[in-house]
Amino acid sequence: MADRFTCEDVFRRLDDYVDRELSEDESARVREHLAICAECAMEYRFEDQLLATLKDKLRRLAVPADLLTRISRALRENR
Amino acid sequence: MTDPASFEALLAPLLPTAYRAALHMTRRPADAEDLVQEAALLAFRKFHQFEPGTNFRAWYLRILTNCFVSGYRKAKRQGPTVDLDDAPELYLFTRALALRPGTDDPASVVLSKVDAEHVTEAIQALPDEFRVVAALYFVEDLSYREIASICDCPVGTVRSRLHRARRLLQKALWSVAEERGLVPGAPKEA
Repeated sequence: MADRFTCEDVFRRLDDYVDRELSEDESARVREHLAICAECAMEYRFEDQLLATLKDKLRRLAVPADLLTRISRALRENR
Repeated sequence: MTDPASFEALLAPLLPTAYRAALHMTRRPADAEDLVQEAALLAFRKFHQFEPGTNFRAWYLRILTNCFVSGYRKAKRQGPTVDLDDAPELYLFTRALALRPGTDDPASVVLSKVDAEHVTEAIQALPDEFRVVAALYFVEDLSYREIASICDCPVGTVRSRLHRARRLLQKALWSVAEERGLVPGAPKEA
């Protein structure tokens, strides 16, 4: 049975865990630690929520309404 | 000859993502529009090389990123950049807790005060190589592998740049918040 992760082990993997880039085994061991360590769990929740909120805000940035029209015209002029 | 309509049918759903990525890369809305259009024209000319049914999103974003790196970046339009030193992990977390000790929701301490423009300003303060991966990461749900394919660099490079970019972004975001008076001056280090 694999050793349980320490706070240091989880801290080093936090970025990858937030990005869902860890292996299933490592992800499971991180989750196991977060279930019993309130401090690490708070740090994880913060980073995860921060990234989710930043993504949400940035994906609401307005896009010029005429961009496709402009590109469409350029494609036809360049044929 | 490629039919513009069939090309546009693939490009149109991608335009919001492309524009937002371009905006972060170029730092200026007018330049972002130009970059998206330039990449679209280039992609259109190379459309015969695109394999139908494969990942058009990654294919086009790769062309857009290359256009930025080879063209706009050479113009060396440098805005203010965040100091690369002193960007430790959990930068915003520690400051949020210092601002409101004992809170069980430190994220809201910071996130409730910043809007999309503030975040954009913070991303635009990142140096080029970090800003490009951050731009791709934030505007679309891309894996490290997809970003690596788009940037034509190893996955490990994407991973380290992205992690560093996010730490720098937190620092830049706090700086923007301080400058705007959204948060008080930085708390004293313990």
